Amino acid sequence: MKRTPIVVTATVAGLAGVLAFHTSPPEVNLTPSPGTTGQQADQSSPTAGRPAASPSRGPTSTSRPSPTPTSSSSRAASGNDGTRTIDGPAVNYSYGVLSVSVTLSGNKIVKVGIASLNDDGSFRSEMIDQQAIPILEQEAVQAQSANIQGVSGASYTSAGFKTSLQAALRSAGFS
Amino acid sequence: MGTVITIDIYTADGDASPVLMRALGTAQAILQRADAVFSTWNYDSPVSRLRRGEIASGQAPPEVADVIAGCAAARAASDGWFDPWAMPGGFDPTGYVKGWAAQRAARALRVPGARGAIVNAAGDIASFGALGPCAPFRIGIADPFARTQLAAVVCLAGAIATSGSYERGPHLIDPHTGQPTARAASASVTGPDLGLADALATALAVAGAPGLALIEPLDGYEALIIGHDRQHRATAGFPFAPPENE
Repeated sequence: MKRTPIVVTATVAGLAGVLAFHTSPPEVNLTPSPGTTGQQADQSSPTAGRPAASPSRGPTSTSRPSPTPTSSSSRAASGNDGTRTIDGPAVNYSYGVLSVSVTLSGNKIVKVGIASLNDDGSFRSEMIDQQAIPILEQEAVQAQSANIQGVSGASYTSAGFKTSLQAALRSAGFS
Repeated sequence: MGTVITIDIYTADGDASPVLMRALGTAQAILQRADAVFSTWNYDSPVSRLRRGEIASGQAPPEVADVIAGCAAARAASDGWFDPWAMPGGFDPTGYVKGWAAQRAARALRVPGARGAIVNAAGDIASFGALGPCAPFRIGIADPFARTQLAAVVCLAGAIATSGSYERGPHLIDPHTGQPTARAASASVTGPDLGLADALATALAVAGAPGLALIEPLDGYEALIIGHDRQHRATAGFPFAPPENE
């Protein structure tokens, strides 16, 4: 009985809902900044065959450092390396309550994670932590580096995610 | 549906107001409901039961009638290249439902405070609004030959759907032969409605470049096909983003 697709859809949509309140226009730094970790500016970032450029949109580029996800009830903390981590508000999802944390260096998302999750220890939450977070993090970082707000066409991550999730759930007895 | 869906809402001040959070909840409920009704993976869903002949369409939830009507319109618009009635196992609206559901979810996000929103259902995208005045959303199209690369960038006004042999593999059935066939590596369709764009992208992935002739007369819809020969072919008005200033 394959109920898991519903869980994945709802949960990830909830996750993204917490993440994704952007200011308009978005104030993101499009050039990779030195010293940030991992995922941007390596050869796996999507490009259109040109180096990532910072176009001017309108008369001036605003530079107010506003965290990309924000809400009136989020907490913020500063790291030693100049990064800031913001925890989003707790959100009800199908199996409990979760909140997301986003780490920013300047205006650039460098990490996404689960700040808190209360679901009575359900197996599905481990899946969320292990599978969905790296995907959303990678997509968030990649979208910034190419100055786009999304990608059309199934990414390798979607297919891989579904496959590995289905296989893992099958082996755990959810079929 | 087994689909990872992300929702981005663009606001003036970045605050998650109660109105926006409620709209997000409504959008989520719409997606969950669509999955419950239409999932062919779920043995007991109304559409699964419809496919087995256990119920008639009149006994199914009212959304099913909407989807059937949308599928019929898409079949006509695609000259039969998209035909959910010609699928193995019976009527299978999956190629239309994902876009249809995401479009309804996007509609639910049109509330005060939302200047724009993007609902991305595993690469099929419904949107409204923009980043700002004269600043449309920019959407990358994945390169089917190098999946971490972008083949193109478009300025999005409404919806975009992409279908490709790399994504669905044997699910791209040629309705004329019943065989899995993909004459394009990837097909992208832009237009006002994601349900129709989704169906047309599926049709074009099966039909290949000759399918572009089906899209040209459709008001508001444009298409890009990336062939197995890696060539890009597009309708005249396809909304490629202009090159950025370096």
